[in-house]
Amino acid sequence: MIKADQLCRKFGETYAVEALSFHVRKGEVMGLLGPNGAGKSTTMKMLTCFLPPSSGEASIAGVSLQDSLEVRRKVGYLPENAPSYSDLDVRSHLKFVGTMHGLQAATLTDRISEMGRACGLDQVMHRRIDELSKGFRQRVGLAASMLHDPECLIFDEPTTGLDPNQIVEIRHLIRRVGEKKTVLLSSHVLPEVEAVCDRMMIIDQGRLQVIGTSAELARQAEGESVLNVRFKESGESAIRLLMQEFPGLEVKAGDIPFSYTLLHSEPDMPLAEKLFHASVSSESVILEMQSKQTTLEDIFRKLTGGEK
Amino acid sequence: MMVISWKEWRVAMDTPLGYVVAVAFLLATGFFFGNHLFLAGQAEMRGYFNVMPLLLMFFIPAMTMRMLSDEQRSGTFELLATMPIRTIDIVLGKFVAVMLQVSVLLALTLFYPATLSLIGNLDSGQLFAGYLALWLLAAVYIAISLYASALTNHAVVAYVIGFGMLFGLFIMTQAMVTFSPASQDFITALSPITHYQLMLRGVIGLDDMGLFLSATAIFLTLTWFQLERRRWR
Repeated sequence: MIKADQLCRKFGETYAVEALSFHVRKGEVMGLLGPNGAGKSTTMKMLTCFLPPSSGEASIAGVSLQDSLEVRRKVGYLPENAPSYSDLDVRSHLKFVGTMHGLQAATLTDRISEMGRACGLDQVMHRRIDELSKGFRQRVGLAASMLHDPECLIFDEPTTGLDPNQIVEIRHLIRRVGEKKTVLLSSHVLPEVEAVCDRMMIIDQGRLQVIGTSAELARQAEGESVLNVRFKESGESAIRLLMQEFPGLEVKAGDIPFSYTLLHSEPDMPLAEKLFHASVSSESVILEMQSKQTTLEDIFRKLTGGEK
Repeated sequence: MMVISWKEWRVAMDTPLGYVVAVAFLLATGFFFGNHLFLAGQAEMRGYFNVMPLLLMFFIPAMTMRMLSDEQRSGTFELLATMPIRTIDIVLGKFVAVMLQVSVLLALTLFYPATLSLIGNLDSGQLFAGYLALWLLAAVYIAISLYASALTNHAVVAYVIGFGMLFGLFIMTQAMVTFSPASQDFITALSPITHYQLMLRGVIGLDDMGLFLSATAIFLTLTWFQLERRRWR
């Protein structure tokens, strides 16, 4: 549905997006992750024909970006911060956007009430947009992007500035929309992407780092066994025993007394089991023990240089 | 394109700024018209027409200043530019919207010649040529001010740039006599204000019309170019 092939965008001499290739399937919700300035917005601006790519190709629903007017008809776009005409009321704004997309008056009225209901705008339809809270403006932007019933939706940080209740609502909305349509959304809120997206990709400094489902990503990023442990009293003798068994073991003392983090460079090491036996034989008492799961956050930090 | 014009028209009708501009415009024109009529005791429109290039210089940049600068600052330009319309339609839509507002304002001033016709004889041909010239001059001014609005993200800066460009044009025409004959010819040929003054005599020349229309077209093209350039940079 959305296909990018070696997409590049330069600002002056620096690349904002470099050789980005990916494919979003029809009916899929794809998350675009990356730290600030990674090139997420630039990528979206290229796909929505706002910024022309410096080189490379992309197509949406089989239409090349070259045919920009046709692409714009197929795409619903929510730019970052959901800009809307602040001196219009919500209904007039939606009407304007719909008419610009060529909707006929009768369909337009239906679509406005339908989208207004879906985005929870019923009570504010006649309020001026500059009187609305950030959350409502964000919803106005969402409603506007879906008015012309596009095949493909591109949302740039759809939930920024919303309170937790609104975030949940918007996520539900995106999920519902994603059942029928192809959605590409960017975010740096990781749990959100995990909750909403079928697949995700992480970009950093304009380059694609990894793409896949969250499970696939976790598998790719796993590279070590990690075990957190806390003893009742000094567990040094148990750890010494364990170190004899695993010469490559790295031990870091934790912040809490008698707590340690054990790291082994290879995954799938039976650290917990061996530590249990070592503790029993050295008569050290374990109060807590936890093997660490690789979270999306770890993957993100690892791939985008947050963890050095 | 007309959708944009319609929206801008609605905004102008809904916001106080539109009315402030309209009232101030009518007060100012009324003053200069009345001045000529009561103080100079002449029942003619010359005073009104002579002062209009100067008056419009203040009013038109005020009407256009927000149109493109605000779109770029608030990010709505991104919204507009990702809709299935061409950039030139955005420019034309805005242009037509201001043209419409100015036309309404000028139509309201028809009240003055109507009063005059009660007390004296008005040359209707000259009056028509005068209004046509004024309308075309306004088109040039609007195109220049829209270009100014495309150059910046700040409405006030847009006003200053627009006013500055128009004022430069005005001063150049006024100070013409101090220049060498060659540059005098050059300015006479190219300044919309000299052509406006020529048309006030009641002669609708094709070259005058041509100049107004091409100056408008040139500045609209520059505006379009400026908006496109921002995307490529």
